[in-house]
Amino acid sequence: MSEQQEPIIQVRDLHVSIKMDEGTLTPVRGVSFDIRPGETLGLVGESGCGKSLTSKAIMGINEKKCHSDGEILFRGDGGQVIDLLKLDPRGKPIRAIRGKQISMIFQEPMVAFSPMYTIGNQINECTMLHITRDKKESKAITLEMMKKVGIANAEKRYDQYPHEFSGGMLQRALIAMALVCKPRLLIADEPTTALDVTIQAQILELMQQLQKELGMAILFITHDLGTVAKMCDRVAVMYLGRIVETGTAREIYKYPRHPYTRGLMGSVHKIGSRKLDRLYSIEGTVPLALNLKPGCGFYDRCDARVEGTCDQAEPDLYCLEGTHCAACVHCRKEEKAK
Amino acid sequence: MSGKETAAANESKKPSPGEKDVILRVSHISKRFTSKGVCVRAVTDVSFDVKKGETIGIVGESGCGKTTLGRCVVRAIEASEGDVLYTARDGRTYDFLRLNKADMKKVRKDIQMIFQDPYSSLDPRMTVIDIIAEPLRANYPKMPKAEVEKKVIEIAKKVGLNTTYLKRYPHAFSGGQRQRIGTARALILNPQVIVCDEAVSALDVSIQAQIINLLKDLQKELELTYIFISHDLSVVEHISDKVGVMYLGRLVEFGETEQLFSRPRHPYTEALLSAVPVADPDIRIERIPLQGEIPNPANPPSGCYFHERCRYCQEKCAREVPQLQEVDGRMVACHFAEELRLRGFDYDQDAIDKKKTAAEKE
Amino acid sequence: MSEHENQAVLDKKALRAQKKAEKARKKEEKYYLASQWQLMARKLGRHKLARISLVILGFLYFVALFGDFLAPYSLTDYDANSKDLPPSAIHFSHDGKYVGPFIYRTEKQTVKMSVAEKSAAQRAAKERGEQYVPPTNIVTDETTPLRIRWFVHGASYKILGIFESDLHLFGVEGSAKVFLFGADSMGRDLFSRIILGSQVSLTIPFAGTMISFVLGLLIGSVSGYFGGWIDNVIQRIIEVLNSLPSLPLWMALSAAIPAGIPPVQMYLLITVILSLISWTGLARVVRGKFMSLKNEDYVMAAKLAGVSDMKIILKHMVPGFMSYLIVNLTLGIPSMIIGETSMSFLGLGIQAPATSWGVLLKEAQDVSSIAMHPWCLIPLFFVVLTVLAFNFLGDGMRDAADPYK
Repeated sequence: MSEQQEPIIQVRDLHVSIKMDEGTLTPVRGVSFDIRPGETLGLVGESGCGKSLTSKAIMGINEKKCHSDGEILFRGDGGQVIDLLKLDPRGKPIRAIRGKQISMIFQEPMVAFSPMYTIGNQINECTMLHITRDKKESKAITLEMMKKVGIANAEKRYDQYPHEFSGGMLQRALIAMALVCKPRLLIADEPTTALDVTIQAQILELMQQLQKELGMAILFITHDLGTVAKMCDRVAVMYLGRIVETGTAREIYKYPRHPYTRGLMGSVHKIGSRKLDRLYSIEGTVPLALNLKPGCGFYDRCDARVEGTCDQAEPDLYCLEGTHCAACVHCRKEEKAK
Repeated sequence: MSGKETAAANESKKPSPGEKDVILRVSHISKRFTSKGVCVRAVTDVSFDVKKGETIGIVGESGCGKTTLGRCVVRAIEASEGDVLYTARDGRTYDFLRLNKADMKKVRKDIQMIFQDPYSSLDPRMTVIDIIAEPLRANYPKMPKAEVEKKVIEIAKKVGLNTTYLKRYPHAFSGGQRQRIGTARALILNPQVIVCDEAVSALDVSIQAQIINLLKDLQKELELTYIFISHDLSVVEHISDKVGVMYLGRLVEFGETEQLFSRPRHPYTEALLSAVPVADPDIRIERIPLQGEIPNPANPPSGCYFHERCRYCQEKCAREVPQLQEVDGRMVACHFAEELRLRGFDYDQDAIDKKKTAAEKE
Repeated sequence: MSEHENQAVLDKKALRAQKKAEKARKKEEKYYLASQWQLMARKLGRHKLARISLVILGFLYFVALFGDFLAPYSLTDYDANSKDLPPSAIHFSHDGKYVGPFIYRTEKQTVKMSVAEKSAAQRAAKERGEQYVPPTNIVTDETTPLRIRWFVHGASYKILGIFESDLHLFGVEGSAKVFLFGADSMGRDLFSRIILGSQVSLTIPFAGTMISFVLGLLIGSVSGYFGGWIDNVIQRIIEVLNSLPSLPLWMALSAAIPAGIPPVQMYLLITVILSLISWTGLARVVRGKFMSLKNEDYVMAAKLAGVSDMKIILKHMVPGFMSYLIVNLTLGIPSMIIGETSMSFLGLGIQAPATSWGVLLKEAQDVSSIAMHPWCLIPLFFVVLTVLAFNFLGDGMRDAADPYK
């Protein structure tokens, strides 16, 4: 999108490891990406590919046993760049950023709210913490946000408890809570997976509209290729803790280059298109990120693997055209040819 | 449209009732749950026919009663009203919901189920071989052990399980493999009809494709009939010959997949289709907004259950409950099904391609 | 040449890596083939506290099992000259010479007083309103070392209730006695009594748990399986039972035990009393598990396959909650131990000559006796140790109960 603008967040070579009895689990192994203001980056992958751990590392809310390495450079309000990983996860500076400048929407709205407090109360908590100390002003801001996310009867809803909300409404309230401080980066971790299609569509449109209004950047994490196509400007496909392909949504969907991306695209039926007799399916299952063999993580399941090359070293991201990069040896040849 | 589908479409134009190859006739099924004095109608008066070798997709949003319907059909729970007429291999037709003991023993095994959650549907305390063999042992207690084992290995091979791993416990398997085990268990009694309740929803995309392909292959090989219940419209579109759309416990539309997806006749189907995100960044469909939320099934609206949210609603809709009627080769429950011109997916792929190339040139 | 060597080294490395991979694969295979109980044992083994507790409990039960052999004296042995003696000091060298472990004869002797002194002391005690106790001195005879010997013959007993024997692990030469933990007010060896008391204190909970296990399983499954009004009635009964204060209930029930019945019957009756109250918690667990398992997909799958109800219960449901039951039983044992101890402490439980830890603690009922003879609190240490060990073990088992999470 806006190339001239400085990225809000730059993730550089992020590693997350978990020590276990059996050895060290490495669910995230060198992930790098940038997000600019007003842009939506879709992080796509199957379960266990490390996408959620990546987002939690940015928020600094990973479990204690997880160890993060690398750099997460966040550009604050005043243009100063902070490495979020260097901050104490329980310290004051990160708490000032978390919730205010970076906020997050979770998959299960039912779990994200405490059943003991009213919805208004819980959204208000955020404003009171970060924006204003004045109770009246804070409530006004909260109500305005609730209206903005399409909660009808906001004044009445303000005093209701989570169990009085439907799933879709609760997800709206969650978005209101995430956006009430006008964050510069919104992390949406499978925000619509638990919702029905009609409500999912409403929520996605709401997010797009609010993004336009507030100019925030969105990191959109999902396994659903349909919602990504609808929401995202750029897409990064993750497999086994690494980004295997990245580019604009169009590049990824129309000209997937990495065999995994191609397999992924082939395994979903595009609704409304000509019926194929069979779907393309990737053989085997995602291996556990424990004691990994050298070479490409996708080697065992790949139908374009080259023995002697692919099983020797992990391929780097090779850039093809514009922003389109893929981590596959087949793309290296092309890059060289260029 | 492939040749096979055209054939299926032609067949449906013949008068279907009483036809020989109808294997399952679901008629006027209702299910009510009563808890604490409140009666909730989970399924209301649902009827449709299933032909041998077909796949019927049932779609709808959560709480629409599709799972309850599936469970009523396999008799996992008892329906409050209605019949399921099942034509067995011997040509006789049984009322599956009211079988006597002898028939029960004979016919029960013909209709089986594949479950949604590959984790909770396998007993973690049994080895895979025992799980798959359990239905055999229950139905043929006198079958010698060697034969049971032979049959299990045969079926395990069929669903693509590595037979050397059969002595393992389920915790050794991934979600996709577990779903294969569940499929093997459903298949071992050689059933005719299988109800798949969200059978691939809990799986990752690439694994989903594996299981869908497996189900399709098995269908061809064993002449299976599927009732495929799912909230995922693109999966249903891919696998089903016919699709039924449910809303608040009622079947609102039932017809050939492509027909229904390209030219829906019920406003709810139209809205549902417009909300599906398509895995193609070039396709931007304008969503048809739905007002309000799904009403409480304990207290459904008067007349047409959908009228409060329908943009074509007229005064008649609030008064009268529309009955399923045949319109344009399919069943629709809408008073204005004949008049409305609703929008679906544009199946003309060539036109789409042309549009795209034109856009690219620009 | 060096290339050759290099090659050899590389080959060796590859071989080693291969072996390692093979080992890892075998380990994995073992995990895949592991049944639920094997998985639970594995998980329990990783719980450090549970492991330690298991060792401690194993030791305690071993001691209880061979108590008659390990205890130097029997329950009926007493010595009028050894009342309230402190733990015996064990010496190793006499007159600068090493002799091995031995003790000196230690006795309580009445202080020799003139008649006038005695009557004065008696009068003084009377004025204070106390009973006259002749003052005593502890006298140690340091002239002759009395060796502690292994495998001595003493009071006869039946080992495991079958073989008659009079062999004891250790004892002292001559007529003197060794009191490792001191003696009680009747001159009985506390060490022997703790060991022999553990036979009661450690086994009553087991017997009691068995009874409540059967009751809880039966009533709980009836409640969970039938549901409806049967469930309602049973739940109300449980609530009533739970709301009764346990102490008065014990008192009432033990008042119903006829006096003078043999210790074995007494023992059984106390177990029944304890378990009649404690089955309720178990029944609730069973009922809850029954209800949640009823809705499991695999139970429904079995139903659809035509498996009979009885078989579903026995094959899918009972094994499903068995692990939870065992955890609950383990966590229930400490309260039984405490229950028995409290009953005996209050004089409602085991009667002399039989003993239990609670009976032993009766000695420590008033502050002055604790101040004068602190060793009478030693049984308390064993009660605490056992209860803690059971709690930690139960804790570990709870973590291991669902190995699939």
